[in-house]
Amino acid sequence: MKAFKTLKEKYANELTLACIFIAVFIILGILAPDKFLTAYNLGSMMSQMPELGLLSLGMMAAILTGGMNLSICYIASLSGIFAAYVLSSDFAATNVGIGIAAAIGAAMLIAVITGLINGGVIAYIGVAAMLVTLGTMTLFQGIATNITQGGAISGFPEEFMALGGGNVFGIPVPMLIYIGAIIAAYLLLERSAWGSRVYMTGCNETAARFSGVNTKATVLKVYIFSSVMAAIGGLIMISRYNSARVDYGSSYLMMSISAVVLGGTSIMGGHGSVIGTVIAVGIIQIVTTGLNVLGINRYLIDIIIGAILIGVLAIRFLSRRLSDRNLVKARAAKVGAQ
Amino acid sequence: MKKLLAILLAAVMVFSLAACAGGTDAGGSAAASASAEASAPAADASDTGEPASGAGDGDYKIAVVPKLIGIPYFTQTGDGAKAAGDEIGVEVTYTGPSKADAAEQVKMIEDLIAQGVDAIAVAPNDPAAVVPALEKAKNAGIVCLDWDAPVDNEKLIDASIHQIEDKEFAEHSIDMLVEAMGDSGDYAILTGSLSAPNQNLWIDYAKTYAAEKYPNLNLVTDPIPTEEKQQEAYSKTLDLVKAYPDLKGIVGYATVCPLGAAQAIREKGLQDQIAVVGTAVKEDAQEFIEDGSLDIAFLWNTQDLGALTVKVAKYLLDGNELSNDMVIDGFPDISVDGNVVYLGPPEDYTKDTYK
Repeated sequence: MKAFKTLKEKYANELTLACIFIAVFIILGILAPDKFLTAYNLGSMMSQMPELGLLSLGMMAAILTGGMNLSICYIASLSGIFAAYVLSSDFAATNVGIGIAAAIGAAMLIAVITGLINGGVIAYIGVAAMLVTLGTMTLFQGIATNITQGGAISGFPEEFMALGGGNVFGIPVPMLIYIGAIIAAYLLLERSAWGSRVYMTGCNETAARFSGVNTKATVLKVYIFSSVMAAIGGLIMISRYNSARVDYGSSYLMMSISAVVLGGTSIMGGHGSVIGTVIAVGIIQIVTTGLNVLGINRYLIDIIIGAILIGVLAIRFLSRRLSDRNLVKARAAKVGAQ
Repeated sequence: MKKLLAILLAAVMVFSLAACAGGTDAGGSAAASASAEASAPAADASDTGEPASGAGDGDYKIAVVPKLIGIPYFTQTGDGAKAAGDEIGVEVTYTGPSKADAAEQVKMIEDLIAQGVDAIAVAPNDPAAVVPALEKAKNAGIVCLDWDAPVDNEKLIDASIHQIEDKEFAEHSIDMLVEAMGDSGDYAILTGSLSAPNQNLWIDYAKTYAAEKYPNLNLVTDPIPTEEKQQEAYSKTLDLVKAYPDLKGIVGYATVCPLGAAQAIREKGLQDQIAVVGTAVKEDAQEFIEDGSLDIAFLWNTQDLGALTVKVAKYLLDGNELSNDMVIDGFPDISVDGNVVYLGPPEDYTKDTYK
């Protein structure tokens, strides 16, 4: 019982989110059992979720340090575009295996470069993350538009489609990649020394620096991590859409910030959990798909997601204030008793 | 525990609200489904909804997916599609992404498959991106159509609704330009985006036609993209006028281009020196045509495009084949070529149109 209590206290936020997820799932299941609870729909939700999920994990790391990564969608599309050039080349058509590996390598290279640009300017020059990534967002978009001339790149080898459309034991491949990324993100952010430094930097950068944390290197790596997550998302996207183009996934920017905040990450940095973000992405996914399946107007879906976000944030804020007040009362009672 | 309960209740409330709101907004069918939802199981809410929308027996569910919702062009095509649905007794779902993002559109197609529609007609944001999703639809036995812009896979598409025969439309645009500016002089082309396949096709046909038929016309520069934004067309036109003082004509190939160009011409007071023609929605073009900054606008009837899409979908669902002598109620001018159905000649809007 005590173990459960500490679990409840430590993961109160994640438990609430999980309850919302389950409640929404049950409601939608009751409303449209023949449409929402079909094998097809569950599978299609599982292959839709990883794109937003990966971008959200990347966004979360940046927000944990008190920063922001507004360029994340264009990092995804830029690395997707470079991978697409490799994939659609004559070389990849004849050497499929090496071609796909080279494409993934190209995407990762772009991820590291973009991460170094973002992280370098933020950490070593000290410009605010919001401004830097606003600039690089336009920069990466410009580069991507320029090299593609705004057009789509297509003509990938058939085998590459498996990345976005294949199944292993009935589970979509993107979901498996996403699960791998979740585990990696959890181990890196919540179980590694670097992860602790990320949280410390986010809580109070000055204090962290005076405690001997190399905050600059920590922040630089955060933006590389963020870019890598985005690039994996970009690879899944180009495989799912069978082509690459500059504006694929441009609607994910605000959604990923919403998912991170809904997941309990403090926008000031320093607090948040990988699992919270993951559940929040799940909530957004089932709400949009569920309402689409019910045939509800697209604008209303935006309104509902906005309402859920505001509702959860308000409840979280109020409950925190309530618990603070109870704490004060309890202390006062203690002092009075003495 | 109390907190959890409160949050659960809040979630339930949000959803019941959503269901009610859906009713007021989307008309009868959603309202009926909302009340059906209230009575617990609601195995197939939308089926109970159909009679309430007055759409007859409603055997078929046809989903029409625009590039995006919330711009005048796609609002009008949607009005046409829904009206046609009421007329022929099918349930039309008109839904699209709120941004012109291919990723968002693909998800909506996948969700429509889950919803169990009988036909999906999509105006693709990207001709290649929707192909995997439409393959899934096809495998689920759904009739697939494209409209407004073609999908990059002819085998997948049962019928492709084109607003216009591209060559004829492109030649018409040059004829109109010549009518407005005379058959000699400098002209420039504005386009929505360099990656829009239909606009590129028109521009290619138009350039060839102009070079052959009107050798004294001189295209001053490559087609100028405007990001499908009126503001962009406006500023690009200001640059054009400055860079090419002898410019006599501008032709715009996205519905926002002629409006932006006309706005610039009006501001500079160049109505008599520079002719502007192009594709524009009738209502939007009115103020510019009336003050002379826009000379001639032309476009297919947007509502008819939506209506024809729905009617052809129903025609195919009834088990008919496309053919040259097929009859679609209310569309005497259509022509068929393979699996492509053409809506017919464009409408011209001039000062006389608004009298």
